[in-house]
Amino acid sequence: MTAARIALASLAIAVLAAVPWFGSDVLVQFGINALLLAVLAQGWNIIGGYAGYASFGNSVFYGLGSYGVAITMVQWELPFAFGLAFGVLMAVIFAFLLGLPVLRLKGHYFAIATLALAQVMIAIVSNVPLAGQNIGLVLPPLNNDPLFYELALGLLTAVTLTIFWLTRSRFGFGLIAIRENEEGAAVMGVNTTLYKVLAFALSGVFSALAGGIHAYWITFLDPESAFDISLNVKMIIMAVFGGPGTILGPVIGALTLSAVSELLSSEVTSVAGLFFGIVVVAAVVLMPRGLADIVRRFRKSGWRYFAENIKAHRI
Amino acid sequence: MSAILEISHVTRRFAGLVAVNDVSFTLDEGEILGVIGPNGAGKTTLVSMISGTLAPSSGNIVFEGNSITRLPAFRRARLGIGRTFQIMRPFPGLSVLDNVAVGALFGRGEETAGLAEARERALGYLEFVGLGKSIGRRADELGGPGRKRLELAKALAMQPKLLLCDEVMAGLNHVEIDEVVEVIRKVRDEGISILVIEHVIKAIKSLSDRLLVLHHGEKIADGEPEAVLSDAAVVEAYLGKRRA
Repeated sequence: MTAARIALASLAIAVLAAVPWFGSDVLVQFGINALLLAVLAQGWNIIGGYAGYASFGNSVFYGLGSYGVAITMVQWELPFAFGLAFGVLMAVIFAFLLGLPVLRLKGHYFAIATLALAQVMIAIVSNVPLAGQNIGLVLPPLNNDPLFYELALGLLTAVTLTIFWLTRSRFGFGLIAIRENEEGAAVMGVNTTLYKVLAFALSGVFSALAGGIHAYWITFLDPESAFDISLNVKMIIMAVFGGPGTILGPVIGALTLSAVSELLSSEVTSVAGLFFGIVVVAAVVLMPRGLADIVRRFRKSGWRYFAENIKAHRI
Repeated sequence: MSAILEISHVTRRFAGLVAVNDVSFTLDEGEILGVIGPNGAGKTTLVSMISGTLAPSSGNIVFEGNSITRLPAFRRARLGIGRTFQIMRPFPGLSVLDNVAVGALFGRGEETAGLAEARERALGYLEFVGLGKSIGRRADELGGPGRKRLELAKALAMQPKLLLCDEVMAGLNHVEIDEVVEVIRKVRDEGISILVIEHVIKAIKSLSDRLLVLHHGEKIADGEPEAVLSDAAVVEAYLGKRRA
């Protein structure tokens, strides 16, 4: 990375970090949501974008992180940090226990198997007294939005740096090789099973941390909202819109889509619900490789870029 | 010479079909062993069982004195078994250079090079196979002959002790075949043992120290190329029974 890029990235982080000092309360609250969604999109990027396994199970990590914080703070009356650690621990255990069987499946089968995980978790958690069953848990309120904002920004920086490291590490190259051709990767010496499970766990760690921060901020938690499959759909759309398998794509995708979605829901409420549906269709048809790919190729192909993608899909 | 690879009584069934039937042979260190046979003879199945992407139904595979029959493919790769695929398996979205760098990063030995060093080594192997000018292109932009060379460079970057070549000459013209034959000879001169599967009889006859013939999954001949190719059973397998 050149010095100019380091400077630019630091500047962007500094500007974002300063938002609570000059922005309105509404902006800060929007920021917390958008940053946490960006963390989730980046978390998904590790398993979906780099390893090529389209996981619908990442909302489970998010839910485990939320419940980790809630159970620790409400039932055991321990500090927030312990809650985050507990959530991460549960996410890692979950990644190993379920990753081993589920990651043997490929393509659509993997997606379908993980799709079921969130439903199963709702059923389980609804019956666990420690987790408040289906009534949920109410956390002690902490009225400090700037703190949550900075935590979310710090987490987003951490996951993005992790992905930056992936792109120039042996581990990351192994994941990309698995995505591009799993059998080819295995005969070249990549321990595919271990790498896939590690990527799933790493993805889970960041998703769980995002869930934990969100739970403490919202101060209320029930099974339906913690293991919400539509959240998983959202993180996939954001990552794919921005460019899966790129360092900054999912962040840009998450922040842009959050902003547009927020504007729409405040201005024209009736079409806001349609928004994500339209984005999915447009993204898949016009730019299947995301914003990052447009930036790379637009200069060469111009507007033909979109036409070429349509042609490639034989629509 | 000592054997680097010993195959004993290896069989592989696919449901009712016996693809490889009770095949035994050895491959000596530094030797080039050619494996020929008509389509469907079980050649690729045999290579897949040695590289670990297919498990044998029965039989034993010994590499450098240790049984590897139950080892997963990636462990065999790290022990020093490299292979190329007949149906090429590049990492399509990666550059040609990075395709080969994966081999340098993960090949033989537990902890290998860092990324910069891996790319540097990859460049060397690409120049060796004659792809030095294409390093920046995406692997899926290469044509057939280029992909064959890429397969070879990827396998070589793993620094294998045993190289399994599955039809690296298929679809190449005469000039290209001569070049690949030359490359494989040079690889052997580095001390690497080689098993070559090929359809191009002329090329494999001059290249191999020894020839092994598979037919319907069974070994029907094994020996000096000249002798094997004039063997009655081999001629029959390829040309059918001569009418009296």
